[in-house]
Amino acid sequence: MSQLFLQQQKSAELNPFPHIAVFANRKIQHIQFNSFVKKISETIGIYYITEGKFEWVINNRVFSLYPGDTAIILPGQEFGSEKGFLDPGTLTWIEISPQVFTPAGGLLLGAWSGIPENESRAIGKLLSLNGISVLSKLSGAGNMFQQLQKEIMDREIGYSVRVNQLIDELLIHIVRHLTRQNNLQRDFPQTFMKLEQALRSNLDHQWLVEEMAVIVGLGTTAFTEKVKNYTGFSPLHYLINIRIAEALKLLKNTGKPVTDIALETGFYSSQHFATTFKKLTGYTPRQFRVNNKKNT
Amino acid sequence: MDCIITIDIGTSAVRIFAFEMNGRAIGFMKGSYPTFHTEAIYSEQDPEQVFITVLYVLKNFLTEKINIRKYKVAAICFSAAMHSVLPVDKNGVPIGNAITWADNRGKKEADDLKKLPIAKTIYDATGTPIHPMSPLIKIAWIKRHDKERFNKTGKFIAIKNYIIQQLTGECVIDYSLASATGLFNIHKLHWDSNALDYAGIKADRLPMPVPVFYSALHLRKEYQVSLGLPAKTKIITGASDGCMATLGAGVWGEGKATITIEQSGAVRVAGNKMIRDSKQRFFNYLLTEGYYVSGGPTNNGGVIFEWFAKQFGVFNEAYGMDDSVHNLIKDAMQAPAGSGGLLFLPYLLGERAPLWNANARGAYFGINIKHEQKHFVRATLEGILYEIYSIGKILEEHRAFSTLSINGSFASYPLWAQVIADMFGKPVSVNNSYDSIGTGALLLSQTEMGIHRSLEDAAKTVTLQASYHPNKNDHQVYMKYFSVFEKLSHKLKDEFEEIALLQNL
Repeated sequence: MSQLFLQQQKSAELNPFPHIAVFANRKIQHIQFNSFVKKISETIGIYYITEGKFEWVINNRVFSLYPGDTAIILPGQEFGSEKGFLDPGTLTWIEISPQVFTPAGGLLLGAWSGIPENESRAIGKLLSLNGISVLSKLSGAGNMFQQLQKEIMDREIGYSVRVNQLIDELLIHIVRHLTRQNNLQRDFPQTFMKLEQALRSNLDHQWLVEEMAVIVGLGTTAFTEKVKNYTGFSPLHYLINIRIAEALKLLKNTGKPVTDIALETGFYSSQHFATTFKKLTGYTPRQFRVNNKKNT
Repeated sequence: MDCIITIDIGTSAVRIFAFEMNGRAIGFMKGSYPTFHTEAIYSEQDPEQVFITVLYVLKNFLTEKINIRKYKVAAICFSAAMHSVLPVDKNGVPIGNAITWADNRGKKEADDLKKLPIAKTIYDATGTPIHPMSPLIKIAWIKRHDKERFNKTGKFIAIKNYIIQQLTGECVIDYSLASATGLFNIHKLHWDSNALDYAGIKADRLPMPVPVFYSALHLRKEYQVSLGLPAKTKIITGASDGCMATLGAGVWGEGKATITIEQSGAVRVAGNKMIRDSKQRFFNYLLTEGYYVSGGPTNNGGVIFEWFAKQFGVFNEAYGMDDSVHNLIKDAMQAPAGSGGLLFLPYLLGERAPLWNANARGAYFGINIKHEQKHFVRATLEGILYEIYSIGKILEEHRAFSTLSINGSFASYPLWAQVIADMFGKPVSVNNSYDSIGTGALLLSQTEMGIHRSLEDAAKTVTLQASYHPNKNDHQVYMKYFSVFEKLSHKLKDEFEEIALLQNL
């Protein structure tokens, strides 16, 4: 494939794709100082190595990348080389500007993408939760990049649809691979523990089943069934257990207002909290707090 | 129609059963809660999450299986995992998480105590081996290493006590669960002063011990309303899970033993005397006053076979552990009894009975050029069962038994059951462990309500079919290899120490 470097607003090829900030395929033959210094990324960058060896710092961690490896850089992550330049080799990459990206993993790709909003959120959650920046030997990614380049450059009929589809495909490919790399999909209890930790450390997040399923690396149907089997609860009911348990502790151990506790533990209102709490315990949160003090 | 509900607060899940008064099962429901390992040797649970899970499952169970079919709940009886410690403040509010039986933080405290002459006196009085699992050791650890938490603690209770306290307002511990704390004099039925001294506490910092039949408990009004249960619903304190399982397996009096293999495993016998093992290898827990369930626990049960499956098994679908285990067992059947002389020491998690050595590690031994994968699979299975046999063998020196009832998800695989029968050279009958804990609680409730005259009579109602008969030839093969297995387990003691030190676990 021939070399190219396309940049939004500078390269006409990218006019139909305002969400693509950069698309490039480069063979580095000479070292150019200060061409690749560490800076905070504003885009979702996907880098695929075809030749050579690169040493990069992504999100404060050093990675060695070899041919076949793929690096994923998220907005807000620092990215570059300690040496400030790219080593000799060949690499191809795309930088995508998402419509919304929050550090907690809120991701909205934009209208161009065929990935539905809930799945887009799930992808964002997974990418930011895992803190995994490099996928080694991501088979298929190289081919997708080649097709992307061909579609962008050849402009054959339907090319704009194909380009967007290929980006979606690439993201899906990465996310699926990521969940499989993270867990060998053998030990459910162990993987479920990872999910449990993710839920607990983001308890105020409005979790979707899709987001939970992607952490475990299963489709939502298989995931729901597996969780039901393992815990006796549906995923969302299991989450309610954790929420109420945390709320109980806060009610007992702090003087925080009930509304704050409700929001902190992920209920969308104090009303919602009170109803759920009472249904289970027979007490409203306020009664529970008073009663708990009285009792003692 | 009246019914009895049993609630088992187990290591990883709560399991609720309902029975008609005559013992016919109505239904079952479970809900799980996580165990946290903030450090490798730590094992903790969130008491509030356990409580909420119990409450949630109970509520769903009552709604879906009981109230809808117009059953009236006559009694609720509890059982629970042993050895948990939950420090609560003077208001009964938990201070941090509960520490479960599997927690090993008190290794040094246990070793220190074992060296003292008082250790034997404490073991004889409490019946519980000196081990990090024991609440005695855990409390000593908290006193030494977490002074602030220790000072704030009003009472050291068990998870089960906490759940019952939440539901009824009463903080009591049944003799059965108390007898697994290492702090309770199982002969005199009160907290043991020597053990209290070592733990560094007075008896007023423990819950009040009550008989397993104790039922002067009443559901709090709010729970009567939210659960839809009348005020007069009888709440029976109940016993520990191990004692319930033994009762539920119909093991009462001489001549019988029961083997449980879940993730971990145990061999148990029951009788009216404590087993005073000079090496303090066996536990003696009270089922009720004057009645002891004795035996030995192993760390390395089904968890080891699952470890093997995870590393070397085939997974045709995501998280298809059951399927993978099932296929491996089929492979194992292709290898002969004794695995062609390939031996496996299953001590991947250290070992409790009979070695009581946290530093023990696993090994394959005797590999020759003819051994194939199937031999390794079978050797792994046999190694786990040699270990079970080694507990049974020493146990039999104290109390003879001629029949075995086995339960638990692993023990009930036909191949496992057959190998157990062959190793012991005794007939084996199978029942389901969750059923046997539930059945035990049912029998205890029925006895409390006067349906049976005594627990002994109740145990007699359990009938089991001998489904596996020992094969004499295979028994002899296993006995020859077992002698090597046993020697290796002891011979490697120094090397276990050395390698554990290097592995730094």
